[in-house]
Amino acid sequence: MQMEETLNTAWEEPSNDISNDERPMSIRKISKASIVMNATLLFLAIVSIYAFFTFDYKNVNLIEAFSSTFYNLKIVFLEPHLKHFSVHETIWQLIVTLGLTVLTTLIGSVIALFFGLFAAQNLSTKLASNIIKAVVAFIRAVPTVLWVLIFAVAAGLGSVAAVIGITFHTIGYLIKAFSESFEELDKGVIEALKGSGANWWQIVFQAVIPSCASYLISWTFLRFEINFTYAILMGAAAGAGGIGFDLYMAGGHYFDLREVGFITYIILAVALVLEVISTRMKVKLSGFD
Amino acid sequence: MPLLEIKNLTKKYNADTLALSDVNLTINEGEFVSVIGPSGAGKSTLLRCINRMIEASSGYILFDGVNVSTLSKNELRNLRTKIGMIFQHYNLVDRLSVIENILHGRLGYKNTFEGIFGIYNEEEKKSAFKIIEILGLKEQVYKRCDQLSGGQKQRVGIGRALIQKPRLMLCDEPIASLDPNASKIIMDHLRNISSKMGITCLVNLHQVNVALKYSDRIIGINSSKVVFDGAPSEMTSDIVYSIYGSEAEELDIDIGGRNAS
Ligand SMILES: Nc1ncnc2c1ncn2[C@@H]1O[C@H](COP(=O)(O)OP(=O)(O)OP(=O)(O)O)[C@@H](O)[C@H]1O
Ligand SMILES: [Mg+2]
Repeated sequence: MQMEETLNTAWEEPSNDISNDERPMSIRKISKASIVMNATLLFLAIVSIYAFFTFDYKNVNLIEAFSSTFYNLKIVFLEPHLKHFSVHETIWQLIVTLGLTVLTTLIGSVIALFFGLFAAQNLSTKLASNIIKAVVAFIRAVPTVLWVLIFAVAAGLGSVAAVIGITFHTIGYLIKAFSESFEELDKGVIEALKGSGANWWQIVFQAVIPSCASYLISWTFLRFEINFTYAILMGAAAGAGGIGFDLYMAGGHYFDLREVGFITYIILAVALVLEVISTRMKVKLSGFD
Repeated sequence: MPLLEIKNLTKKYNADTLALSDVNLTINEGEFVSVIGPSGAGKSTLLRCINRMIEASSGYILFDGVNVSTLSKNELRNLRTKIGMIFQHYNLVDRLSVIENILHGRLGYKNTFEGIFGIYNEEEKKSAFKIIEILGLKEQVYKRCDQLSGGQKQRVGIGRALIQKPRLMLCDEPIASLDPNASKIIMDHLRNISSKMGITCLVNLHQVNVALKYSDRIIGINSSKVVFDGAPSEMTSDIVYSIYGSEAEELDIDIGGRNAS
């Protein structure tokens, strides 16, 4: 009763209500943040337009440049062949690259699983969790490529530096992902097992990991795809070998666009297969089977 | 013979939230005791102080003559195996099967290695199946727990507690999320556990009617204090009013329907 009355009075006397205002109503709230945002966008738009008019095009004929770019793309994608490398050699190099990917993801995920547990606030102490999270934030802030170069100082450019560098960033990436999955876990489940006398390791393996398994696998597989890209990149940039190095040789040494095209198709095929596997796995794990 | 003695138990979460103040209770072996009281009275806190999921601020608790508050880490683990716990939201591992969840009740008796890999002996598996049969979950043995109804989940929760071979069951609002039918099944099981197996039950309840019907004894808590402790037959609407305060009017309690079992 009482509540009804207060509601009524509030309804009938909109003393300083917005709806009483004569100005047209706006759905979006005009805030300082939105003004700054809009001003920034406008500024960037003006700069871009200005830049296009004042580029130094030298003697490049735009039409010619576009057409020859398309011509090159046509060669790459429509006329692929192998010349400097044999098929089985290329496949072997692909296996090397995949090996690099598996190695870095596997080592990284096992280490990250362990530290992820101690980084999750509901499974660890506040101190340990904060320390690990701070270190992880630092590791993640430095790009993978830079970690490889840093480790190359000690190990020399090559596969060792590539493995250590990629693994290092993988650990940082997965600790964050894993610990956040663990933190999502309902604390009641932990309470129930703790209350029945189970110890920490038993709770982790009997409740935490089974509950988070699909997340853990999804994240690991996502990182596997990322690491595949890095393994190709490091093959070329850090001399880690594999298909990336072939790609680099074909493009940068033999200037054979057709061979670049062939290798690109191989990489694309592998990426596609990985994508299909990960989608299948996710569906299966999330229980829609 | 008292199984549980609670003396001068006080719990302060912080300077201005007093959840329990000077609670004194004695609970006998095999008793079925309901704890009722308004929201925020301290019912959950009381239950969790008993197995030290929450540390009391002062006072002490004797379980079977042993002072709970001075136990070492290992002794505490041992104590907890003797106390089963049941929750409003069941707190099962949803992705695991019924049987796996029930066997979780044995983890407290296992070493770390066996626990991690879920290695259970024949005897444990046998008693798990027996409990499943008693609870009427035979058809769901290998079903994942997220495919069960609320009432079935709560029965799994009871199974997980029972396989501990507990002497005391702490039930924190076991039927608060269930419909009347499922509630009745759960309460009947709890009542059986108490009268047939001789396991002491301490049950937090929101429904006074249910407490009146099933309990040997009712404890009323209002703003951190025990304001009633007696048999259902001693309950009057004045007492209900003193437990629930101004909330009592909305409860619409039928004192006449007491003690059906
Ligand atoms: N972790 C906590 N930190 C601080 N205060 C808490 C905490 N848990 C409970 N409290 C407070 O302690 C008091 C008692 O809470 P408790 O959960 O025991 O009540 P309850 O009787 O179980 O209520 P309900 O019927 O709603 O479950 C409440 O005032 C609550 O706000
Ligand atoms: Mg409660």
